[in-house]
Amino acid sequence: MALQDFLNQLDELGTAAESAFGEATDAEALEAARVIFLGAKKGRLKSVQQQMGSIERDDKPTAGKAFNATKGRIEAAFEAAQQRSNNTDSDSAASSQFDASLPGTAFRCGNVHPITQTIEELKDIMGRLGFSIVDGPEIEDDWHNFVALNIPDDHPARDPLENFYLATADTISGTKNPVGLLLRSQTSTVQIRVMEKTAPPIRIISLGRVYRPDTADATHYPMFHQIEGLMIDTDVSMADLKSVLRLFATSYLGDDVTIRFRPSFFPFTEPSVEADYYWNGQWIEFGGAGMVDPNVLKAVGYDPEEVTGFAFGLGVERLCMRRHGVTDIREFYKNDIRFLAQF
Amino acid sequence: MLVSWDWLKQYVALDMDREELENRLAMSGLNHEGSKPVGSDIAIDLEVTSNRPDCLGHIGVAREIAVLYNQTLTLPNPQPAANGPDVNTDFSVSITAPELCPRYTARIIRGVTIKDSPTWMQDQLRTVFSPINRDWKPINNVADITNYVLMEAGQPLHAFDLDKLDGGKIIVRAAEQGESFAAIDHREYELQAEMCVIADESKPIAIAGVMGGSETEVSEQTVDVLIESADFTAMSIRATSRALNLHSPSSYRFERALDPAGIDWASQRCCELILEHCGGELDEGVIEAGKSTWKAEPVVLRLSQIERILGIQINAEEVRSILIALGNAESTSTADSITVTPPSWRRDLARECDLLEEIARIHGYEKIPEDVGVPMAASFRSDEDRVAEVIRTTLTANGFDESLTGSVVPLAWTDQFNPWVTTAPLRTISPMLQGADALRTSLTPSLLEVRRINQSLANPTVELFETAKIYLPQAEGLPQEQKTVGLTSSGDFYHLKGVIESLLAKLKITTPLSVADAKEEFDGLLDSQQRCTLLLGKEPLGFLGQVSKLGLKSFSLKTTAMVAELKIDLLVNLATLIPQHQDLSAFPAISRDLNVVLQESVRWDQLQATIEQAAGEALEVVGYQETYRAPDQDGSNTKRVLFNVKFRRADATMTGEEADAIRDTIVQAIAANHDGKLLGV
Repeated sequence: MALQDFLNQLDELGTAAESAFGEATDAEALEAARVIFLGAKKGRLKSVQQQMGSIERDDKPTAGKAFNATKGRIEAAFEAAQQRSNNTDSDSAASSQFDASLPGTAFRCGNVHPITQTIEELKDIMGRLGFSIVDGPEIEDDWHNFVALNIPDDHPARDPLENFYLATADTISGTKNPVGLLLRSQTSTVQIRVMEKTAPPIRIISLGRVYRPDTADATHYPMFHQIEGLMIDTDVSMADLKSVLRLFATSYLGDDVTIRFRPSFFPFTEPSVEADYYWNGQWIEFGGAGMVDPNVLKAVGYDPEEVTGFAFGLGVERLCMRRHGVTDIREFYKNDIRFLAQF
Repeated sequence: MLVSWDWLKQYVALDMDREELENRLAMSGLNHEGSKPVGSDIAIDLEVTSNRPDCLGHIGVAREIAVLYNQTLTLPNPQPAANGPDVNTDFSVSITAPELCPRYTARIIRGVTIKDSPTWMQDQLRTVFSPINRDWKPINNVADITNYVLMEAGQPLHAFDLDKLDGGKIIVRAAEQGESFAAIDHREYELQAEMCVIADESKPIAIAGVMGGSETEVSEQTVDVLIESADFTAMSIRATSRALNLHSPSSYRFERALDPAGIDWASQRCCELILEHCGGELDEGVIEAGKSTWKAEPVVLRLSQIERILGIQINAEEVRSILIALGNAESTSTADSITVTPPSWRRDLARECDLLEEIARIHGYEKIPEDVGVPMAASFRSDEDRVAEVIRTTLTANGFDESLTGSVVPLAWTDQFNPWVTTAPLRTISPMLQGADALRTSLTPSLLEVRRINQSLANPTVELFETAKIYLPQAEGLPQEQKTVGLTSSGDFYHLKGVIESLLAKLKITTPLSVADAKEEFDGLLDSQQRCTLLLGKEPLGFLGQVSKLGLKSFSLKTTAMVAELKIDLLVNLATLIPQHQDLSAFPAISRDLNVVLQESVRWDQLQATIEQAAGEALEVVGYQETYRAPDQDGSNTKRVLFNVKFRRADATMTGEEADAIRDTIVQAIAANHDGKLLGV
């Protein structure tokens, strides 16, 4: 066989192999092409190699070199095609039908209730300010809900119409509740329980459900959530209270805010204030606060000459409503899935 | 409390800007609710906290303004001329219920002329009454004057037509049960025994401190009037006015602790104005019954406490001038302290901390800094909190929405389903929401109600959980408040069980979950077959089950629902919150599939226990795959259970021969323990 014919054949083979490998769009087609060109027994490269025997002796080194070059060329083309093929698993038919814009296969995730989200955020912020979260009972006795909080017997806050007292055998036959129990009307009860069994210093947040007999409407619900902070130490002042509330509000709103105190009245604090924060060009009510009344400190066995402290309380629903633009508090307790999915 | 701008001018120079004044009042304790014009006057609405009854009259508000603006307060000094006979000669007052009325005073004016009150008085009364009562009209000079003094001093008064009083006496007594009374609002009230009434010899003439009677009210024919000025017990007035649903400016004030010195001042002021505007002659003296027990006690303010409590320094001179301007009388003082006796109208000032509040609010809370360096402190996150977070993240990741539902539910719900205890639920005296007065003993009914609501809204997927307390009555003492997580799903039994298992896995609870027979208590809502008690080790964790057809019907549910409740405390106790690293085998695992024929009665947990015991240490996991039945080949009452076992050695690659040997041991154990046989052998 003439050298030139052999060389031409090699050249054609190389070009054919390159184009065959190039056109193979999936692993199967590529394998078929590989068998055709590189097949160990009947591959075209093999059959060209077999023709080497009929080349003139003198031309053999040239032919051999050319053969090796072509072999390298074909193998490189195959490898490149194989590399390509490894990166795409889909066949050509599928690739023409592939529509990346179709919606994904949804995996349903549930939602944490917006009130819980608010509570968790408040807990998180107060935790960073050194306040630990404490929990306490929702069913309370007279001492923790009133007496220890400096709420005297004749105070309107004790009125049966202002509280959910538990029925006793006198009021509902068949019940055996101890007398004087009620669903707590404030989370301050937990502060009393903590102080009763913990020595100062104290930095706590109590939060949870509280109950007051309000008729349910857009802004009232007979059950709601309160968060209350308490800090007791040897020299805690109203300046500390104002500073902690400012840090709290600033952390929550993510923007520097300023705090304002207006005088108010609560039996368990003296002085008592309403705290407002200035945000987006207006004063917004934050919650009630004040210096823990000496009578409360005495009730839990602290010496008001030794320690002072502040307390503050906020309604969680109100904060949550303002933050998320919820206009009807009842939505929180209806649990419409579509409502929950908004947060 | 509505105050009239024109009225205030009588006591203090209002030369400041009104809006600025409103703001300063708000910042010093009288929250400004709004202002509106009434005729040429302005009605200013101020919120008065319950500790400040002195500000329920114009004089009290004027005094605040005078203190804030350092102005002179000019007050009337009533000295009505008494030219009549001694008032005690032919009239008497007795109190038979001192616990309801500690003190009662009366003055008598004879020969008054009833006509309209002066226009200026009508105008000022209109400013303070018409915004809250559109039908408000002046009555007559005597009645208007009593109202005027009420709104001036905050002390309620009442004028009786003396000629209508029988027996020449007033008796302050407890009402007779069921006693009937015609009030000046022309309505009949049925009185109760614990209410206080003013009566003459034959009949009640007023519900003490709340409302007078129509029969004895001052009318055009009235000639002689008796002016009542008294003190009634706050709690009694509050209870009475609540019970009768009768709230008046008088009852509102008596519900707070009034100025004991104001009783006589207001009486004299009223008489002076009546003599001036209605004519007549005042009897000499006053009829007094009972006495005020309150007496002002000196209060020591240590100057060191100002910085200790308020966090700022205020110099002693300013402190002294604030206290004195507010009406306190300074007695002894030292370099470190100021001792004052509070005025009778400030019964709320009894302790050092009360004085500190006065100084703070007048000095200005804005002067307290908001950027002091509060020392850092460590804070601790409780295990309960950590577990609660894992519950939330795991369940939301499993597609469950968190709901919040009411703690108090209809009794019918607890009657129907009371899975945790056998005792009856606690009840509230008044219902929380319509018909709901039972403290819930299960979260399940509440969750089913949420399912129903979402069904009515055509919401397609309802997977819910709630973490809340349930209230389990105890034989004695406070009830147990059990933190519980409730779940409800539209999936099948094994779906919800799988969710619970994934929660236990996330909590790294190694104590095995097992099931036990359901309790009878589940009958109310759960299917008789697909239900069980859940245990962790030997501790009851909760329950899981499908809602029965009857249960679905009682909540109007159209599609099947699965429910479960788990006790959170047990999860907290068993959770591994700080997991520890375990060495992992570097050698590959080898697995074997088995298909065994068993009697129907053999439960998976029994089979699993046999497999685990037989396989020993090399067993990494046993995975249940499927159960199916081929009675034709295997005989009746049998089942085929397919499962997979995976083995791994810590020290070497396990060979196929070793795996086969363990498999054979498992098969032998199954044969021995359960009479089961490997299929195809």
